[in-house]
Amino acid sequence: MSISTETGAPAGKAWKSKEEFLGCVILTDWILLVVLFAVLLGSFHIHYMLLAGDWDFWIDFKDRRMWPTVAPIVAMCFAAAAQSFLWTKLRLPIGATTVTLALLIGEWINRYDNFWGWTFFPINLVTPSALIPMGFWLDIVLLLSGSWLITALIGGLGWGLLFYPINWPWLAQFHQAAEVDGVLLTLADLIGFNSVRTGTPEYIRMIERGTLRTFGKDVVPVAAFFAGFISMLVYFLWWKIGAWFSTTRYLESDEI
Amino acid sequence: MKTSIMKTLAKCVTARAARIWAFGLVAAIAATTLPAATPASAHGERSQQAFLRMRTLNWYDVKWSKTELNVNDEMELTGRVHVFSGWPQAVAKPEIAFLNVGEPGPILIRKSSWIGDVPAPRSFSLETGKDYSYKLILKARRTGRYHIHVQINVEGGGPIVGPGQWVNIKGDMATFTNPVTLLDGSTIDLETYGITWSMTYHFLWMAAAAVWILYWFMTKGIIARYWLVKIGKADKLISANERKFGAIWLAASMLAVILGYAWANSAFPRTLPMQAGLLKGIQAIDEGTPTVAIRYGGGTYKVPGRELTFKIKVHNSGTEPMRVGEFTTAGLRFLNPDVYTSKPDFPDYLLADRGLSVNDPAPIAAGESKDLVVTVQDARFDIERLSDLAYDTDSQFGGVLMFFSPTGKRQVIEVGGPLIPKFQAAL
Amino acid sequence: MSVTTEKAARAAAETETIVNYWPAYWTMIALFVFYVCVRIYEQYFGWYAGLDSFDPLFQKYWLSIMWIELPLEFIAFCGIGGYMWKTRDRNIDRVGPREEMRRILVLIGWLAIYAFTVYWGASYFTEQDGTWHQTVIRDTDFTPSHILEFYLSYPIYIIAGWGGFMYARTRVPMFAKRISLAYLMFWAGPFMIFPNIGLNEWGHTFWFMEELFTAPLHWGFVFFGWFALAVFGVAIQIFDRVIELSKEYEKDVSALV
Repeated sequence: MSISTETGAPAGKAWKSKEEFLGCVILTDWILLVVLFAVLLGSFHIHYMLLAGDWDFWIDFKDRRMWPTVAPIVAMCFAAAAQSFLWTKLRLPIGATTVTLALLIGEWINRYDNFWGWTFFPINLVTPSALIPMGFWLDIVLLLSGSWLITALIGGLGWGLLFYPINWPWLAQFHQAAEVDGVLLTLADLIGFNSVRTGTPEYIRMIERGTLRTFGKDVVPVAAFFAGFISMLVYFLWWKIGAWFSTTRYLESDEI
Repeated sequence: MKTSIMKTLAKCVTARAARIWAFGLVAAIAATTLPAATPASAHGERSQQAFLRMRTLNWYDVKWSKTELNVNDEMELTGRVHVFSGWPQAVAKPEIAFLNVGEPGPILIRKSSWIGDVPAPRSFSLETGKDYSYKLILKARRTGRYHIHVQINVEGGGPIVGPGQWVNIKGDMATFTNPVTLLDGSTIDLETYGITWSMTYHFLWMAAAAVWILYWFMTKGIIARYWLVKIGKADKLISANERKFGAIWLAASMLAVILGYAWANSAFPRTLPMQAGLLKGIQAIDEGTPTVAIRYGGGTYKVPGRELTFKIKVHNSGTEPMRVGEFTTAGLRFLNPDVYTSKPDFPDYLLADRGLSVNDPAPIAAGESKDLVVTVQDARFDIERLSDLAYDTDSQFGGVLMFFSPTGKRQVIEVGGPLIPKFQAAL
Repeated sequence: MSVTTEKAARAAAETETIVNYWPAYWTMIALFVFYVCVRIYEQYFGWYAGLDSFDPLFQKYWLSIMWIELPLEFIAFCGIGGYMWKTRDRNIDRVGPREEMRRILVLIGWLAIYAFTVYWGASYFTEQDGTWHQTVIRDTDFTPSHILEFYLSYPIYIIAGWGGFMYARTRVPMFAKRISLAYLMFWAGPFMIFPNIGLNEWGHTFWFMEELFTAPLHWGFVFFGWFALAVFGVAIQIFDRVIELSKEYEKDVSALV
């Protein structure tokens, strides 16, 4: 016996009326938005925290060389994949903004409720990296150009270049200096030093330790430019990965 | 149909329902951030392999200047550490190390730390076979009763935990402050510094992102957009005005970024990169050449009796007679009651005040060489899981023996070597 | 099905709602409440009994949770798959369009639950693990945060994903007749994160690992996490079928532009 029953609608139809169809679509759209948002949040968060997380967790990892190199490159993966789906299939210029917002919501919930609420680390130790304007940039370059090629080239480069400037307004305050026992420390160093972390000794910080002085006196532009360059390449690759995951292929039972 | 869905939805968003939901959510979140229960125990060091705890860093003279504090009070955690010569092969040597505190989160903040007379807010190198003094100045932050250890992290070696002591902190964490004087002379409270602005900055951008997403979502949703793209109307989905709106949105965002960047540069004209680099050449403790020398002659460990027995040949080239008074390893202290006539102030779980005996209690006279059998026996071996040495891949023990003269002079001499486990009590 | 019952079913269905997300809403509300309770438990018993795995309190308050949760999860996993299979539609070719649409909408409810649990597992509890590792030296694979992350929140999203997958395989014609590659990846990729814990814990037996989240040892989680992007393909497959089943409204949709 089939458990299926043909009910409600005229024979051979799915819907009783246009109103039913539209009402259902509107409601289901919201559900789908939540599904996409939560899935992207979860998968992007685990990706980001395990590829760039240490720089994102700790204020004393947010240096001028490694952080602005690693963070945008790693973040680009999901931005490109989400754009690939949302733009080509739905013509929505919100892929990069969606994933950056999703990530930041996930991070902030955790930083507040767990890092502060459970283990009492001060929020200024664990403030995440700002990413939203990069999302706007990438989405609107795609919106205006309509081209993933241009978005990869211009959007990708801008993605890397923007990272440090958009973080500087909140980060600069922590790069003021203080003297502790005759040693010079920035406030970022000092917050990390004060806030005892049994699992994060100072030496595991993967941060700038000198030598690069090719761009004036500052390493950030070089790091940002490099990050932009790699972000372009990552964009190409992950646009394709996003497209690949949009597959509608079916397998026959004997194929698995 | 639509009406019934909408009615149902409408019920969920009435003001009353919204208030109930909001209240529930706030209550739930608040409950998760209530003050925590007092922790009951140490944290994790007992899982570390015995050979590793015994043959890396030998902690001694560990002192906690206070065990009762109010929030904002400071205490000193001081002591000495011997870096064992026979450092195990499985662990990287302490060429890059960091003086840390074993505590459950920032209960006490670390205001200052020193290795010898060198301030050590960053990593440093230690040499095997040498002894170093250390000092940590800690400031009470969170109320409760906590076990506070000294700890040194070693790159490629992990956290090596020293002895721990219960510390009581009273008061209210809300009153905690961490004043720091900047180079320009102004003083800030680092506990809260910059948090409001960082959060405001983040949340404003996040709110803007939500607006951007919702605008595009609300116009034509998801399913309809997909359908339109599918039937070849993708190009019509975005109007010229929307493109203009996007361009304006982008321009405004970039302007905000530029202004924010410029503002930060003017508000904080003197910023420095983070400071990093390894401290090398730290002076070890220099107490002259020891006059007691020992040669290890083999030992056994009786698992059922928790008894470590080893033979040593001791030569005393000094001018005073010396006696074996203490064996210290992995933070545990085994005292010879013939030498220690009173119990020192030390955490009881690590102090076996009658745990050491020597087959010949007579002192080793000046110039004398003597064969001794040292017996270390106490249940703390088991409790601290050092008995598991018998099951480790490198069955060698290590530690320091302390010799005392009648005038109170002390010599700290490293001892260690292979052990043969005995699993039957009768043997 | 007899004529009488068919008539009765049809009559009842005249007023039947084709979409009902309330089971999904209630499931998510229940999960939310459950996870908040879990979090409150952590707040107290993490500090009280979770700092030393050799402490008897640890056995009582933490390990006991694991010994309860793992069998329950296994039973739930088997039970949900078994139930779906046992009650499968054996006549999937005869499903009419309205019933098919109703089932697709139920499936979307399943996807919502899966997405919700993926958030808790991959985002909330995974990053939370980082905070706990700063408070206790890694002394057991079964540290409190792991008992709730690896062995609770991950199995829950696996079960939720499995439930949806099996619902689709047994009731939704397009997914029942053939196997959707996207849906297979969407469920099986994040599922593989769980076996990957084996790699993680094996790696951490080299105890000297510092708590670096970006350590290559952790990248297995990242790789399998990428497969959640197959939600794109699943969404498209669902959209395509919704469009096919709603052809008569194409003009209305076209009028939107």
